[in-house]
Amino acid sequence: MKKVININFQGRVVPIEENAYEILKQYVDSLRQHFANEEGKEEIINDIESRIAELFAETLKKGSTCITDEDVENIIKSMGRPEDFDDEEGRVKSQLGGEQEKTSSQQSYTSTNRRLYRDENNRVFGGVCSGVANYFGIEPLVVRILAAITFGFSFVPYLVLWIAVPSSATKVIGSTRKRLFRDMDDKIIGGVGSGLSHYFGINVWIARALFFIPFLSFVAHFNRWEFFGFPHVLSLSFSPGATIIYIILWILVPEAVTSADKLEMKGERVDLNSIKNTIQTDMEGFKGRAEKFGSDIKERAQGLGKDFSPKAQKFADEVVYVAKRNSLGLGGVIALIAKVFTYFILAIVLFSIIISLFAGGVACIGLSPLFSYVLGDGTETALAWFGIILFIWIPIVGIIIWIIRRLTKAKRNSALVRYTFVSLWLIGLFCFISLLVSLRNDFRYRNAAVEESVTLSNPKIDKLEVLLTGYNKMVKDKSWFNIEPFESFDSDTVYVPNTDIRIVKSTTDSFYVTVVRVSNGSSKTEANELANKITYSITQKDSILALYKGIPINTTDKFRNQRVIITIAVPMGKRIKVDDKIAWKNNVQVCINNNNWDWQHDFFNTDDLNWESNKEYIMTEKGLKEVGKKFDLSDDENSYDKDESIEENKQNLDELKHDIEEKQREMDEKKRELQRQLDDEQRRLDEKKRELKLNVDTSGLKARTQKVVAVPKKEKNQFKEIDNGLTPSFINTI
Amino acid sequence: MDIQNTQSQMRKGVLEFCILSVISQGEVYPSDIVDKMKAANLNILEGTLYPLLTRLKNAGYLSYRWVESNSGPPRKYFVMTDEGHTFYEALESTWRELADAVHALTQPSETTLSEENETTL
Repeated sequence: MKKVININFQGRVVPIEENAYEILKQYVDSLRQHFANEEGKEEIINDIESRIAELFAETLKKGSTCITDEDVENIIKSMGRPEDFDDEEGRVKSQLGGEQEKTSSQQSYTSTNRRLYRDENNRVFGGVCSGVANYFGIEPLVVRILAAITFGFSFVPYLVLWIAVPSSATKVIGSTRKRLFRDMDDKIIGGVGSGLSHYFGINVWIARALFFIPFLSFVAHFNRWEFFGFPHVLSLSFSPGATIIYIILWILVPEAVTSADKLEMKGERVDLNSIKNTIQTDMEGFKGRAEKFGSDIKERAQGLGKDFSPKAQKFADEVVYVAKRNSLGLGGVIALIAKVFTYFILAIVLFSIIISLFAGGVACIGLSPLFSYVLGDGTETALAWFGIILFIWIPIVGIIIWIIRRLTKAKRNSALVRYTFVSLWLIGLFCFISLLVSLRNDFRYRNAAVEESVTLSNPKIDKLEVLLTGYNKMVKDKSWFNIEPFESFDSDTVYVPNTDIRIVKSTTDSFYVTVVRVSNGSSKTEANELANKITYSITQKDSILALYKGIPINTTDKFRNQRVIITIAVPMGKRIKVDDKIAWKNNVQVCINNNNWDWQHDFFNTDDLNWESNKEYIMTEKGLKEVGKKFDLSDDENSYDKDESIEENKQNLDELKHDIEEKQREMDEKKRELQRQLDDEQRRLDEKKRELKLNVDTSGLKARTQKVVAVPKKEKNQFKEIDNGLTPSFINTI
Repeated sequence: MDIQNTQSQMRKGVLEFCILSVISQGEVYPSDIVDKMKAANLNILEGTLYPLLTRLKNAGYLSYRWVESNSGPPRKYFVMTDEGHTFYEALESTWRELADAVHALTQPSETTLSEENETTL
């Protein structure tokens, strides 16, 4: 079943199938493009058209009811396609010596009127490098190497040139219009994937996967994704980038409605289907289409430009200028790149504003269950809701509507709509401000703080460990906004972890704990009342001091910045440890000076101690010291041992030396004593001799002298023994 | 350097001359030119013919007149001008010289090739 239309073709009424008509139209268009620079362009087209009309008439005369695809294809075959003309024609023209020589694909562009083309016949990727090389008259390899070296830098310019610069092939052959449509016949969501697959001639599932896989990873990594993570937004993987591109394409790309659209979408290269070299056509496929994709976008930019400011208009003109393939200097390309870049940055800024507004709006809605714990009934709640809806969501909706209307080229918003939006937003702003003022009043006064001591069951304990109780081992919530400062909440109570812990030095030899309850209120009385209502449990069990997870707050007694300040006094030489679950959400302050303190929220550690939770500290004269910090490093321990052993050895040596000296001294003394004895004996001997001489008793004298001499001899030997025996033995012991 | 390319180059060179010679024989309708050339085993795309005719006409070598047809609108018939005849004669003499030269060069060594060439041309 095919639709047949009647056309007036060169003065003949021709019934023709719609599809065949589109093919014919594209063929004539391609001819028009081919002969664009020809002198008698209109005449040639007319001649060809009338000949085709004649052939149609012949076909109809034979009995056909209408002209079919096949008929048109056959006629085109006999007439020839523009790319076929080149082979036959180029030579003829040069023989005639007539018109200017056309830049044929085989020629390098050495003509005087030099233009920048991508050289499709001498390309690696898009032919940009060889095109640039031709333009400057240098070796393409040089440009390629330069581009490869500076890949990181030249990548984006390369893409831009690829898109912006016309291909030499299109210039010569005259391109078919292949356009990007959304394929509504083969769609899953918006038909973008199938449309792209038609455009680039790839399998539809590849196009779909390109969108879908990043989308899946985006969902899977949603928690880790940051709203303001600039590179994440841009990259196609791990980000919503693909999803956003999909949505943009969905909005921008028209549906393929008519059969002409469908033909263009599928781009049966109606008049470029070279019979001669189908392979080359296939090869051309992706590159050529990418290039045409670029010009397509440019066309849309032109459409958008009409709605934008004059500046944008100028930009669009420039883009069209490029698209029209007027002489395009390299300077123009650079200016274009700069402009594209600027608009790109602006778009990013606009985008992040929308996203942050959106995040704020979502967060506010998400926090709405907590309103009743903070806001007074009636007016304040109403103000909050109006504030959120009008102040935050109205601009989001407005901007989104604006963008969509721009993209769909809808007519300008009527003034009424605009003023409605602005006034609604102003009302929202008013609500927001009055809410803030009202809340400020609610929090204006602070109670009179009273220090109360907590009785400990065993204050003399050596070590105190501060823990948090009431904590359910809950699944770590990976929700993408954290509800602060509320710890957890059920139907009627929230727990606020507003606890400050001060660690001070105890004046006595036992631990003691004091608590100060603090609250704000709209009046002093209310603040006092609220402070008295705070029930915060602190219990000691053995060495554990258990604090409750938070201050309970219910909907009748609103959140007015209730807070407990817990002071733990640690006696000298005792230890304390604070669990890191507490330190995570509470302030821990270490201060030594027990006097002269007021309950400030902005804590400063009065000590230069670098406080860390989950570590044991000991109270010393100078303040808290971390336990066991000295022996942290095992290397130090070893070297210390070595030193010690050397020291010991030295000491031993000294002692031995000392011993030797003493022994020596003793020896000397003994020597002296023996000498003295010897001297005495000698003296006595002399005296006896003299006596004997006097007595003149020779026989008796002789016998006595012998006896006396024997004694010292014996003693002399004894001394020698001592002298010789002592020293070696000492030396040995050393 | 493939054979097809060379062959088409050879054919192209004389295409214009052939077309002119057909027109020189009398008033002619473009599709008739194609038919005649086809009969002589020299294929040409109609799409190529029209621009060539227009160029020759613009150069003053051809002129045309509208001839009423019994079916549909009038048709364009081409005829050669005096200027065109001079131009054609110049081309013809050049062709004779060239054919003789080619014949003389190819005849002694290889007969079959030159014969083939002549039939194609």
